[in-house]
Amino acid sequence: MTMTTPRPITSALDARFKPTLYARVGKENSFTLESYRADGGYEAVQRAFALGPDPVIDEMKKSGLRGRGGAGFPTGLKWSFMPLKDGRQHYLICNADESEPGSFKDRYLLTEDPHQLIEGMLIAGFAMRASIGYIYIRGEYVLGAERIDAAIAEARAAGLLGKNVLGSGFDFDLFLHRGAGAYICGEETALMNSLEGLRANPRLKPPFPAASGIYNLPTTINNVESFCAAPHILRYGADWYSSMGTEKSKGNKLFQISGPVARPGVFELPLGATFREIIYDFAGGPLEPIKAIIPGGSSTPMMPWNDAILDTPMDYEAIGAQGSMLGTGGVILIPQDYCIVNATWNLVRFYAHESCGKCTPCREGIGSWMTKIYEKLVRGGGKPGDVELILDMSDNIAGKSFCALADACLGPVVSSIKLFRDEYDYLIANGKSQYGGRSRWAEE
Amino acid sequence: MPYFTDKQTVLEDIFSRYPQTEQGRRSALMPLLREVQNALGYVPEAQMEEISTLIGTTATEVKSVMSFYSTYHTIPTGKWHIQVCATLSCALAGSDALWDDLTETLETVPGEVTPDKLFSVQKVECLGSCGTAPMLQVSDIGYAECVTRKKLHTLLEHLKNGGEFVPDTRVPVFMQGGQQLDALENEVGGRTADLEPLPMPG
Ligand SMILES: Cc1cc2nc3c(=O)[nH]c(=O)nc-3n(C[C@H](O)[C@H](O)[C@H](O)COP(=O)(O)O)c2cc1C
Ligand code: SF4
Ligand code: FES
Repeated sequence: MTMTTPRPITSALDARFKPTLYARVGKENSFTLESYRADGGYEAVQRAFALGPDPVIDEMKKSGLRGRGGAGFPTGLKWSFMPLKDGRQHYLICNADESEPGSFKDRYLLTEDPHQLIEGMLIAGFAMRASIGYIYIRGEYVLGAERIDAAIAEARAAGLLGKNVLGSGFDFDLFLHRGAGAYICGEETALMNSLEGLRANPRLKPPFPAASGIYNLPTTINNVESFCAAPHILRYGADWYSSMGTEKSKGNKLFQISGPVARPGVFELPLGATFREIIYDFAGGPLEPIKAIIPGGSSTPMMPWNDAILDTPMDYEAIGAQGSMLGTGGVILIPQDYCIVNATWNLVRFYAHESCGKCTPCREGIGSWMTKIYEKLVRGGGKPGDVELILDMSDNIAGKSFCALADACLGPVVSSIKLFRDEYDYLIANGKSQYGGRSRWAEE
Repeated sequence: MPYFTDKQTVLEDIFSRYPQTEQGRRSALMPLLREVQNALGYVPEAQMEEISTLIGTTATEVKSVMSFYSTYHTIPTGKWHIQVCATLSCALAGSDALWDDLTETLETVPGEVTPDKLFSVQKVECLGSCGTAPMLQVSDIGYAECVTRKKLHTLLEHLKNGGEFVPDTRVPVFMQGGQQLDALENEVGGRTADLEPLPMPG
């Protein structure tokens, strides 16, 4: 008898696809322990207890899950980097800082299904022998903070947090820490400084957090969505998880879409679904002609609007082959008649504002020079040679800054020049863009 | 007048979340700042001093950390501190025009409080609500989403007339009968194929 491997699931329209991460979002009282338990909640962690910590890490490795915070590092592998048997206090941190423009998936996971996150962190804590976890949530997520706090209290009262969780002998407690409006706090070492009450400058690596993180103790940081995937991997198995996605990009993911589409929002799709699927089948199609797609949050290079891009599978490798990145899966569509220099200036201003000021290439290069040139360009004072100057500066900043924030800024800068050089040239030659710099604002 | 003297339970709750070490005490800085700001609308010098004593550092240190974050204010804000997102997805949906209308209607600029003490305004960066652009945040309460000109003016009138701010909690997709629906009840997402959980080991 020959066994044929079933075709992997790469479309959410495939009848075999089952949304899990987002499946309870919007359901009445989805955020309560009662509702979560009625849907089988906290069974996965019991399965984890029965398996033991090392098999849980193996299951995570086998699933192929890669970190959903943007960088895509394999989660199971990261967990195995912890000094598992050193007997010291280990910490777990959930990165709920979600501040990359275009990203808004974690927000609904926090408000609508906080117990899913708590269960994911319990599983992770058990696997990594951590007994304390922090959820670092961006300060503006007020409802998320309330729901997480309430869910933590419910879980503690039900014996799901605290000493000897569900009689397993495993101790784990969880606390919420609210940020205060700084994008850099999403960078994992800056986040640890922020949590320690310091200015949120990134730390030098090594030492990596698994060796010396918060309070100088072994620490692992994962994104909200990464933790939320863990209960489902334990519940349905690594084989189920890796039946979704492409060869090297496994599983399901929350994609977000914003800009002029009929139905902006968050959609759960298997990796490998195409841009065409999310834009047309899910978001209802564009409302006006589009010229550029930002595929995964503001720092991922822009891609042109054409059939080849629309048919590109949204996975780490295929988007990489098109010169961009999957990032957070936050798709932004830029309409034809919105000046690309103005759109890029908007993002340069964002990164300049968020630069922590620690290193010169970023503080001076982006925070000062790049911002000034763009401001001059959009105000109509550009000169021939300005674009070359921007590219030259980009060359000098790329790879030379202390953390990834400066490179993140170069994503939109360099790609917009590559794709829309004509718009830059027109603006410089004529003192104004051939397109408007601002959009219509809805009256009603 | 010290702020925390009669708030021992608040202090205990905050400090209980961190280790009882020097580093752990320092971790209480952000929650303490937020506590003061939410009560007073900003953090006065006296409270920076007070907090520095509580966590074992200097007021200058507290100030230095505060200045790093855009949420903390060293000057008073209005009863309703309106923060408009100016980042790309919101800009594409007209946040520039929203900002102009807001500041012209209230006749105010960042750093000021309106004479009736009701409003202050601030431009902020992406608030993680790009799917409901353009949007704004009111104080430390919540968001107003998909803000049209009409919605903005209705909100301002409501607040001027002594109304409370009720945040939007719109969820873009919800579940019904095993099927994901959008706000207009169109079906989206997969068909939730039945999956069996794995058996318990052992
Ligand atoms: C400037 C900057 C901002 C970041 N912001 C976030 C964020 O808001 N949320 C997040 O999960 N990861 C963010 N990251 C990535 C984190 O440093 C880290 O890689 C991630 O939290 C790891 O989790 P994961 O492996 O589950 O993806 C950011 C990185 C940089 C350089
Ligand atoms: S690259 Fe920018 S954000 Fe990162 S350390 Fe340097 S100054 Fe700070
Ligand atoms: S761009 Fe305004 S909320 Fe993200």
